[in-house]
Amino acid sequence: MASVGVASAGQYNYDVVRKFTILALIWGAVGMLVGVIIASELAWPVINMDLPWITFGRLRPVHTGAVIFGFGGCALFATSYYVVQRTCGVRLLSDGMASFTFWGYQLCIVLAALGDVLGFSQGREYAEMEWPTDLLIAVVWVTYAIVFIGTVFKRKQPHIYVANWFYMAFILAVALLHIFNNLAVPVSLTKSYPVFSGAQDAMVQWWYGHNAVGFFLTAAFLGMMYYFVPKQAGRPIYSYRLSIVHFWALIFMYMWAGPHHLHWTALPDWVSTMGATFSIMLLMPSWGGMINGIMTMSGAWDKLRTDPILRFLIVSLSFYGMSTFEGPMMSLKDVNALSHYTDWTVGHVHSGALGFVAMLTFGSLYHLVPKLWDTGKMYSTKLITVHFWLATIGTLLYITAMWISGIMQGLMWRAYDDFGNLQYSFAETVAAMHPYFAMRALGGVFFLTGMVLMVYNVFMTIGQAKSAPASGNLAANAA
Amino acid sequence: MIKHEQIETNLGLMLVLTLLAISIGGLVEIVPLFFIKDTVEKVEGVRPYTALEQRGRDIYIREGCFLCHSQMIRPFRDEQMRYGHYSLAAESQYDHPFQWGSKRTGPDLARVGKKYSNEWHVQHLMAPRSMVPESVMPNYPWLMTPLDTSDVADRMAALRITGVPYSVDQAELDKNTKEFGAEVAKQLHIPDAQKNLVAQAQAGNYDGNPNDVTEMDALVAYLQVLGTMVDFSKYDNDRFVQYR
Amino acid sequence: MEWLMWFTKFENTKPLSLLLFLISFCAILWYVFGSKKRSDRLESYKNMPFHED
Repeated sequence: MASVGVASAGQYNYDVVRKFTILALIWGAVGMLVGVIIASELAWPVINMDLPWITFGRLRPVHTGAVIFGFGGCALFATSYYVVQRTCGVRLLSDGMASFTFWGYQLCIVLAALGDVLGFSQGREYAEMEWPTDLLIAVVWVTYAIVFIGTVFKRKQPHIYVANWFYMAFILAVALLHIFNNLAVPVSLTKSYPVFSGAQDAMVQWWYGHNAVGFFLTAAFLGMMYYFVPKQAGRPIYSYRLSIVHFWALIFMYMWAGPHHLHWTALPDWVSTMGATFSIMLLMPSWGGMINGIMTMSGAWDKLRTDPILRFLIVSLSFYGMSTFEGPMMSLKDVNALSHYTDWTVGHVHSGALGFVAMLTFGSLYHLVPKLWDTGKMYSTKLITVHFWLATIGTLLYITAMWISGIMQGLMWRAYDDFGNLQYSFAETVAAMHPYFAMRALGGVFFLTGMVLMVYNVFMTIGQAKSAPASGNLAANAA
Repeated sequence: MIKHEQIETNLGLMLVLTLLAISIGGLVEIVPLFFIKDTVEKVEGVRPYTALEQRGRDIYIREGCFLCHSQMIRPFRDEQMRYGHYSLAAESQYDHPFQWGSKRTGPDLARVGKKYSNEWHVQHLMAPRSMVPESVMPNYPWLMTPLDTSDVADRMAALRITGVPYSVDQAELDKNTKEFGAEVAKQLHIPDAQKNLVAQAQAGNYDGNPNDVTEMDALVAYLQVLGTMVDFSKYDNDRFVQYR
Repeated sequence: MEWLMWFTKFENTKPLSLLLFLISFCAILWYVFGSKKRSDRLESYKNMPFHED
């Protein structure tokens, strides 16, 4: 049976958790700001200003890098270090190594962003960083794995809590993906060529790309969900058995789904059929996670009326359910023929990234910050509510704009006139996108504004902690 | 019988099983692609890029063009009418990395080669909206700067390690002559890379100024070769369906 | 090695994999949800996050 020898607060390393939490917020604000800028560049190209460093092609990887690896990554480091210590009842394996992962990881993100704006790109989506940065990432990641797994190893109780399974699968999978996708022959410090080419390279890249979503942005965040949703709701997860089934199914099946990014391309048909099949099956483990999270509220739905943090968490799971339904649909070859290459894909990613990943992170960090700085609660609950509505409206504006523009563009590309000729030139379809590009940028502004409010709220909370000397230890307040 | 609790309480077992679960998918889908020979069909005409074209490709990657332009025509009637014959795996067999892309904010470029004049490309890259008013592409005026050609041999040598048949000695040159013809083989010879690059840029006069070698020369040379290597009139219509 | 070729045909591997997945799916469900006693034991760990303080 689960039982924990209670450790006193001083036994946990919260210092590294605090640092990662603050950096998650900063990278979030920076990454979303860049997102708004590049969205605006597509609507009003004059914003590119003829400056190489801020053109869409160079800033787009800055945006994806800062929000996925900066915001998402730091939030995962923070929560995983927090959760593993508390559910294992022991301090992190090594403070020095944990601190190294913090500084090393920040250096990676800065180097990646600098490389992007200077044009040092591998030309691989979500893996634009050149090989020296890749090597540093590998070293940091192995250290992270040692700290995390080592902490689980010296745990005070026999059972490993489910959140840690997801975090460990995420750490192992990302190591595997990162290493194989970045195999390259260097020319200089800033240029290399990948060892794979053409169809094989495409498969390796999307095995990486899809599972960056599957493990970095899904499995790890489900680990976050398995700790913070029960804690904030004050009740245990709905079904531990369901979590066993959907954990194994999810990590097994995700790794097969990559080829759905390459339907109808020169990749052999047997691979893309396999990818589509597993993508459709993936609906079940995905919804297993959603159901487990949402049903945790069963019998306590009224809490949603008063607790905006819980609202963030539950709405994030609803978006998760929606986008993991949309994903399998889009992996069907006939749907994909329409949706691929259009904004529909961009909208789909953001319904997961804004709706699920970011909202879950907001909820979890709002829960975490008062515990880390021992303030009991956030500076302003009202601002959390405002943030919730800004984030929700922003996400809805974004994905609605992308649905309309994506489906419209897909249909315009394949429209014929009465004589059997193509009805629209490509340029006409671009012109038709304009209002939706503007609408998407507006959605981004909403989301960014909410993020800035959160940063303000957190810094005021930290300020309170400093001005009023903490009474009692952390553990007393963390209950 | 093994109980799931044994996994939940045994860290080593859990790690091994997790690794197993996450490895199978990639192994089954990726490894065979290197061994099944039909993955990349045999086609006449596909050759590695010349020194100038390869440098143009580097600039294409540097500017992140692939984030808005795909290079992969799908086998649909509308794409055939808009862009041309669907892309073959063979056509990107020397592409390190592949640039098929995932988004068409701008049109597909897999067969853009020879569709427009050099002058059109230069003007369009300098100021896209002067040619296509609806375009949302950034201006690229800085492409009119001199191209750094000093490390082109190093770049080709690195690509040679990945398997691109650039030659370093007479034996490899002879082999390329047999496979690609003397004209092409000369362009693939690394010791002459810099000389070849300058010669092609001046002869091709891609940027409208024959006296210098600019990044514009390289990029336009690359764009002009895209999708032009295979002569599809030599093949039956359904020749390549069997590889799908 | 000739028998390996049997696996390269989709009309063979599709029903085979369907069968394998169905069997393993049912087996997992039976193991996880099949027995009341096992269920109680498996569920007992879900309170872990609340035992820590």
